[in-house]
Amino acid sequence: MFASKRLSKELIKLQDKLPPGIALVKADDFREWLMDIRVMDDNPLYSGQTYRLKFTFTQSYPIEAPEVVFVRDESHPIPMHPHIYSNGIICLDLLDRTGWSPVHNVESVCVSLQSMLTSNTKNERPPGDEAFVRNNTQRPRDISFVFHDNSV
Amino acid sequence: MPPGNEFAAEQLKNQGNTHFKNGDYEQAEALYSQAIQKNSKNPLLFTNRANARLKLEKWEGVINDCLASIELMTENMKAYFYLAQAQIAINHPNEALSSALRAYDLCVNSSQQTSNAATISALVTRCKKAKWDIRERERVRRRQGLLAELEASLETQYKKDVDDIEARLESGEIGRVEATEEKQERKTEFEQKRDDVRTAFAISDPENLEIREVPDYLIDGITFEIMNDPVVTKNGRSYERATIIEHLKRSATDPLTREPLSINDLRPNIALKEACAEFMEKNKGWVYDCEDGEVDSDPRWAHLSCARKDYERT
Repeated sequence: MFASKRLSKELIKLQDKLPPGIALVKADDFREWLMDIRVMDDNPLYSGQTYRLKFTFTQSYPIEAPEVVFVRDESHPIPMHPHIYSNGIICLDLLDRTGWSPVHNVESVCVSLQSMLTSNTKNERPPGDEAFVRNNTQRPRDISFVFHDNSV
Repeated sequence: MPPGNEFAAEQLKNQGNTHFKNGDYEQAEALYSQAIQKNSKNPLLFTNRANARLKLEKWEGVINDCLASIELMTENMKAYFYLAQAQIAINHPNEALSSALRAYDLCVNSSQQTSNAATISALVTRCKKAKWDIRERERVRRRQGLLAELEASLETQYKKDVDDIEARLESGEIGRVEATEEKQERKTEFEQKRDDVRTAFAISDPENLEIREVPDYLIDGITFEIMNDPVVTKNGRSYERATIIEHLKRSATDPLTREPLSINDLRPNIALKEACAEFMEKNKGWVYDCEDGEVDSDPRWAHLSCARKDYERT
């Protein structure tokens, strides 16, 4: 109900100005957007890489959280992080049904993910990554993650 | 009323509802009419028929049904809601606005606080915009004789085209779907021509191209639109009532602090409401010109800055 109005406004702002390391790649409709993020400091885990995020919106955005995943192609790997599965699914409380708030927006989600990468030092995947990636058939928003730790 | 009529009316209403759901509005209207003959004391029969007539664009019928329904039941959100839509369709924005506001009041004061608030709030905005449009047209007419004349002749032609289509529909020459499509086509054509004329005039009048912005403190942090009915939360932030309620229905927390927050904790922010109203009044209609989500330009020149409408249609 709100989605297209609100997204059209976000788009105007995004086209105007974005924080360093965040770029708008594609927003041809109000269903799916692509954003690129880079980590701005010299964290060896992520230096020189650009990561691509796919946002999928429902009609109820921003009351309902967008679905946000990393996508992989030749030039965009999935970043290594203990909360990011190797298929691009992200375990972050603010993207979760209960952690989301409608005052968040595409830009603030990108900034949160950027800082989640910046502050990470562990070169590892979440526990059970292989099994999860092999068996998961659910949409990210329907998965209820158990947050193993909130320190990262 | 003979015994059994009430029951018969109820049966007819249910049949009408089934047809309505299937999109057969003519049949639904006929059944509701039969129901009303059996029982003319049930306000819901009138609002149901009004809704069917809305779909059929029988505006006068909608208005009569709504008034009849309101007479039987004064606290009648649906009747005011349909009434406003019919009034706006027949170009009576003042009456439409007061009906829409009445519907909105009844809605937010009802115990359910349903999601209707958002829909009705959008209707209120549409009525305000229609009202502003009329005033603005007058103003433009006074100031710019030539542009006004050109616009008026375009509009006359457009209205004539629409009347022709109506006549052909009436005579059975074309079907309803075809008529609606043709009307839409004529409308697009008319708006395009009008925009072109306005563009030409706007270019020769650069003062009017100035870009204005709504200050952030008048903007709802959820929809990013100027607020009509702001309410304040426990931490002092204000949101548009209809949208914060949508959020609270899913998650009873403050959007910023995540602390528990319920609908009953919300208080109207009257000073901010007045500030929003004053801003809209001063800046006239350009803030209203946002059926497609834009709030950043004068409606007369809006087409210069918003190629974004294309997104809506995809």
